[in-house]
Amino acid sequence: MEYKVEAHRIMSISLGKIYNSRVQRGGIKLHKNLLVSLVLRSARQVYLSDYYGGVCLNAQHVEAKEWELMDGDQEKLIPASEESLPSTTACDQTEAAEVPEAPQPEETDSSLAVEGPEDPCEAVEGPEDTSSTEPQAEQESSSSVDSTCDVSVPSPVVSEPQCEAKQATVSSLDCETDANLAMSAEGNSHQPPKAHSCSNRKRSAEKKASHGSPVKRTKVTSSNADEEEAEEMDTSNVSNLITIFGSSFSGLLSKDNSEPEAETDESDSGSGQICCDQMLKNLNPWNTAIVAF
Amino acid sequence: MLDQFGSEALWHVQACRVFSSYGDECTDTDIISTVEFNSTGELLATGDKGGRVVVFQREQESKNQPHRRGEYNVYSTFQSHEPEFDYLKSLEIEEKINKIRWLPQQNAAYFLLSTNDKTVKLWKISERDKRPEGYNLKDEDGRIRDPSTITSLRVPVLRPMDLMVEATPRRVFSNGHTYHINSISVNSDYETYMSTDDLRINLWHLEITNRSFNIVDIKPANMEELTEVITAAEFHPHQCNTFVYSSSKGSIRLCDMRAAALCDNHSKFFEEPEDPSNRSFFSEIISSISDVKFSHSGRYLMTRDYLTVKVWDLNMESKPLETYQVHDYLRSKLCSLYENDCIFDKFECVWNGSDSVIMTGSYNNFFRMFDRNTKRDVTLEASRENSKPRAILKPRKVCVGGKRRKDEISVDSLDFSKKILHTTWHPSENIIAVAATNNLYIFQDKVN
Repeated sequence: MEYKVEAHRIMSISLGKIYNSRVQRGGIKLHKNLLVSLVLRSARQVYLSDYYGGVCLNAQHVEAKEWELMDGDQEKLIPASEESLPSTTACDQTEAAEVPEAPQPEETDSSLAVEGPEDPCEAVEGPEDTSSTEPQAEQESSSSVDSTCDVSVPSPVVSEPQCEAKQATVSSLDCETDANLAMSAEGNSHQPPKAHSCSNRKRSAEKKASHGSPVKRTKVTSSNADEEEAEEMDTSNVSNLITIFGSSFSGLLSKDNSEPEAETDESDSGSGQICCDQMLKNLNPWNTAIVAF
Repeated sequence: MLDQFGSEALWHVQACRVFSSYGDECTDTDIISTVEFNSTGELLATGDKGGRVVVFQREQESKNQPHRRGEYNVYSTFQSHEPEFDYLKSLEIEEKINKIRWLPQQNAAYFLLSTNDKTVKLWKISERDKRPEGYNLKDEDGRIRDPSTITSLRVPVLRPMDLMVEATPRRVFSNGHTYHINSISVNSDYETYMSTDDLRINLWHLEITNRSFNIVDIKPANMEELTEVITAAEFHPHQCNTFVYSSSKGSIRLCDMRAAALCDNHSKFFEEPEDPSNRSFFSEIISSISDVKFSHSGRYLMTRDYLTVKVWDLNMESKPLETYQVHDYLRSKLCSLYENDCIFDKFECVWNGSDSVIMTGSYNNFFRMFDRNTKRDVTLEASRENSKPRAILKPRKVCVGGKRRKDEISVDSLDFSKKILHTTWHPSENIIAVAATNNLYIFQDKVN
């Protein structure tokens, strides 16, 4: 369990670094932020893996387990974040107030060609072309809901109905089932494209809310695509992220009776999940992180 | 001769001079960010975070004062870069000097390249010890003379004056880089040089400022696929077509510019497989290479990552020839070093003139030297107390556990705010310059 505590701590520290990098003099340092994002990814991988998977950080052999586990986790987080809409919006506004100038250049850039002003944030401009429905989606809902949509969406083909379904309902069980079915149906071969489409949509969403999200993704391998999606959600708009995590954990605590049953249905290592939840109840670092931001 | 720690001193390192900015109070802008000897060792340049360059010159050795053999004194100081603002991206561009590289001397003047995050400048440093006197149209104070008072013409003559060293910017190479420049390297053809940022390497001609050639571009079409960045690059010391660049993933690529205009495909790829037993959250960070240097011979390559220095043979790509542990006791402290950002420190490494000894910095103002032939190493400290003129530096030792001996320092007592990132070695003699925050230490070999 210490692994998870440690991973927790490292994740919050990494998020803090990404946040601070936005305001430091000299602009965003690409190299440092790339390294921080790699650490964040590793930490999240450990955190979301089951108890035994946590022992071996580079565990290729537990990737199948992690795959389903992460499904469970992501779906768990999504409904909770949907519930927290008002607080997310407030957080966004705070964020926007802090960086008043930044979003404007970004939005201007988005309307230019892909090879516009080159920037570490160019990542957010490029994928804009691939997803024309994004702008409407952004305006309609907060970015947390977008992230909801993105994370749960496995591929463009399958995603549309699912995404809308998510926005319509707040049923966690439905979401999880749908996503899991989709995931298992597609299998590993579809992972890279779906990760990209997800990340594309995610990127557009976060671009509006935050300036200069400097995080760069690591190359998607077939086994890690799901983590990539998860990481997208993690390392985007930081305040959003903190809110998501915060609300998700409080969501877990309130839904304690219902969540564990749902997860044991889906994942092979249900006991690990329950242990995780129980530990989360006793943990305060996230609260601290949220307060800090 | 063995000292009390059982390690022979490589040579008796003697303190020479300490230069510090404005006494003990160190403001952020005084922190030295680069140090470099020129190709003869006569000049030593430092750049700092405030965009200033200070050049030291070695005194001519005089028979009258043999104990002051070849001391370095301040020769010239100038403001190389100023803070700038990129209005398009609402970003400030730091004036910090990232690198200085000297050009080989071809006439009486000295030339160096200095760079900040975005712009490279070529500076000419020249002496003036004569000035013209006897102008017709203006008097000695510079005031214009009334033409009606001029009754005869004279030819101005050059008269001696106090030596003045002036630095003038001769070329400004701007708008070549989107990302932050981390290296510059002068080609052995003495006509071109390359500048490197996180994703691209550009080749410039020293005479042409409005054009540069992109020779390496690792920017992916989709930035979300980015997995590594370029961390350093250097031209081969003799082969003008060959250069290497290191990456954040711990690999080094050697490229040949004759093969193609865009050298995205390497000729050689140097990488050591990771030791799985050392895997941690921070494995990727500590394997990122912070500096790469060719040996003077051109046969070897040296790389510095967070915990080690490695020497590679250009003919063997699979693993390094030699690996030296700089401060392996930090391996168990990586999490704290991550928290306080020390894990991102970019240490440089340097060869001595004969390629037999390599040197690099550490924390607590320690720096380390490794003798490649005898396999001996020594840890020395750059501190005011230990650096009285002509004092012999005492080797230091870090206690990694168990009983701490007298004069040893425990890992927990190390001061991580005192880091030596930048060092340089005289091209032919045993003289080294070590930058410790805002202080420049010059050490040399003891003369018996």
